[in-house]
Amino acid sequence: MSEHTRSTLLECRDVSVGYEAPVVTDVELRVQRGEILALLGGSGSGKSTLLRAFTGLLPPLSGEIRLFGKSLYDLPHDERMRLLHRTGTAFQQDALFSGMTVAENVALPLRELTRLPRAVIREMVEVRLSAVGLAGYGKRAPASLSGGQRKRVALARASIMDPELLFIDEPSAGLDPIVAATIDETLIGFREALGITMIVVTHELESIRAIADRAVMLGRGKVIAEGTIDELSQSREDIVYHFFHRVAEGSPAAPSVR
Amino acid sequence: MPHRLRDAPGLGDLRAILQWRLPVPGPIAAIEQQAGATVVRLQGDLTVRSAGALHRQLRALGRRRDLGRVVVDFAGAERIDSAGMAAVSLARRRLEQRRVPFEVTALDEAHRAVLAQIERAAAAAPPGEVAPPGALERIGERVLDAAAGVRAFIGLMGETVRQTLAVATRRAKLPAGSVARQIAEMGADGVPIIALLSCMLGLTVGFQAVLQLQRFGAGVFVADTIGLSMVRELAPLMSAIILTGRTGAAIAAELGTMRVRSEIDALSAMGISPVRFLVVPRLLAITVAGPALALFSMAVGIAGGMLIAQAVLDLGPVSFFARVTERVTMGDFLHGMSKSFVFSWIVGFSGAHLGMRAGDDASSVGAAATKTVVTGVSLIIVVDAIFATVSSLGKHYT
Repeated sequence: MSEHTRSTLLECRDVSVGYEAPVVTDVELRVQRGEILALLGGSGSGKSTLLRAFTGLLPPLSGEIRLFGKSLYDLPHDERMRLLHRTGTAFQQDALFSGMTVAENVALPLRELTRLPRAVIREMVEVRLSAVGLAGYGKRAPASLSGGQRKRVALARASIMDPELLFIDEPSAGLDPIVAATIDETLIGFREALGITMIVVTHELESIRAIADRAVMLGRGKVIAEGTIDELSQSREDIVYHFFHRVAEGSPAAPSVR
Repeated sequence: MPHRLRDAPGLGDLRAILQWRLPVPGPIAAIEQQAGATVVRLQGDLTVRSAGALHRQLRALGRRRDLGRVVVDFAGAERIDSAGMAAVSLARRRLEQRRVPFEVTALDEAHRAVLAQIERAAAAAPPGEVAPPGALERIGERVLDAAAGVRAFIGLMGETVRQTLAVATRRAKLPAGSVARQIAEMGADGVPIIALLSCMLGLTVGFQAVLQLQRFGAGVFVADTIGLSMVRELAPLMSAIILTGRTGAAIAAELGTMRVRSEIDALSAMGISPVRFLVVPRLLAITVAGPALALFSMAVGIAGGMLIAQAVLDLGPVSFFARVTERVTMGDFLHGMSKSFVFSWIVGFSGAHLGMRAGDDASSVGAAATKTVVTGVSLIIVVDAIFATVSSLGKHYT
């Protein structure tokens, strides 16, 4: 692989994030171009907080987050915005604008951040909507869609600028397994067709196995494991074992692995 | 068990209905003394309906000084639920604190399961409770909160000015059509209510003025009174207060909801400034709509006074309007209009600030809207007083 494709898109150096007290500390992380990284962990383990720090919404309490080789929070505001334009974010709640139609939602970044002619924008939106399986839904209001459809609109909006790096918070939370599988397919399609690198926060085992190359697991306020999915599922570390084998901590079925 | 809801009288028996009350369970445990031990024999169902009585009984028992050992016998107990077991475990905790030995006997499978749940909770309880913050800490938190609020407010104003300049110099653009839509919502949709209230206000002030002025044979001065009070005071104030209730609260609620639904985060993450996208259009719109409504209110209010002058004094519209234009100067008009600009910005900024700072839950949206109305109206009245003082000082010295 060439130097360009091997490049590191996101790097965390000794990062602590949280609001008043740190939620996760000592995060060391590198995301290479082209990979899909799953960020795992139980509820409250700080996955979403870490993601907020990656997307420029929450300065880390300490440490450095480097996005595309530049220190995200040390940049002046405008330059940081330009860096963020090269990323996309799909939130856990779909965060679609309820006052706009589906097409307007998807078109928003293009309309706001570029000077493309309307006709081109319309065309791009149509293409992207059909890529997420929602061709013809453009004129509908977000409120009239199902949960899974709204998530897919959010993915279309997050990816409309052809970001190099896409952050996705819980793409299939609260969806039934079949709909969740279509979301996974959409994500895989994004990588294959557009070459988008992704960081996916999730705790759906199925979708991790389906899409992720590598995973980082958070727990006890730290990164407790990192590696490929196979490596992690062989791990004897307590929390990782419990996660991958669906056994509650402290239940008699769990072997003593400490 | 005698006390059951199904023992309630049928609907036909009116007298019985009147006399019937919710049954209060009697003692449900028999307490006996046996060689050195007090035995509590539970009887029947120990459920939500009887747990209160059991608790009272056990508490009374617990107050006795002569307790050697307490045994709770479950042999006679039937169904038991969490409430019943809570009464028992509460008694045990209290007795153990007093170092009275406590035992339970003859539990069946179901009893044991309920008890186990309570014991597990007791084992999992955190070692010490976190003390709630003291008065001093709460004051400190409030102060820090207020300081953060002021900093955020100044930040918002700065960012709004910066973004407005960027838009003005064409380095950035506003979402298409947003300002026009906002003006329509804030201004045009507010016209009927402003018309109604201003007309009423003109009528009322006119009527009061006529009554007083007529006593001195100066009824014709009603035109001066109406003209001046409407243009300088009432119209700007009235329209600003309505603007707070209609528009300020709406801005806060709208932005607050967007905050809750992470739409504002979504904008920031896309690299779109939420201030430019959401706040600047609203502030530009309110800068147009607020003074426009005030102007409209002035006109309608004066027209209302004109009706009174016609009806009571037989003073025709032409002479009425001639007096108004003679008395109300350009200075008065500019005074009223400039106040109206300031009031509009107060409403716009407080709505935007409080909406953007709303918390992450639904109730904070309501709180932001309410706070906007209270803050907006208070600030408007204070600023109005400052305007009045400064302008009268100016007159005094010139």
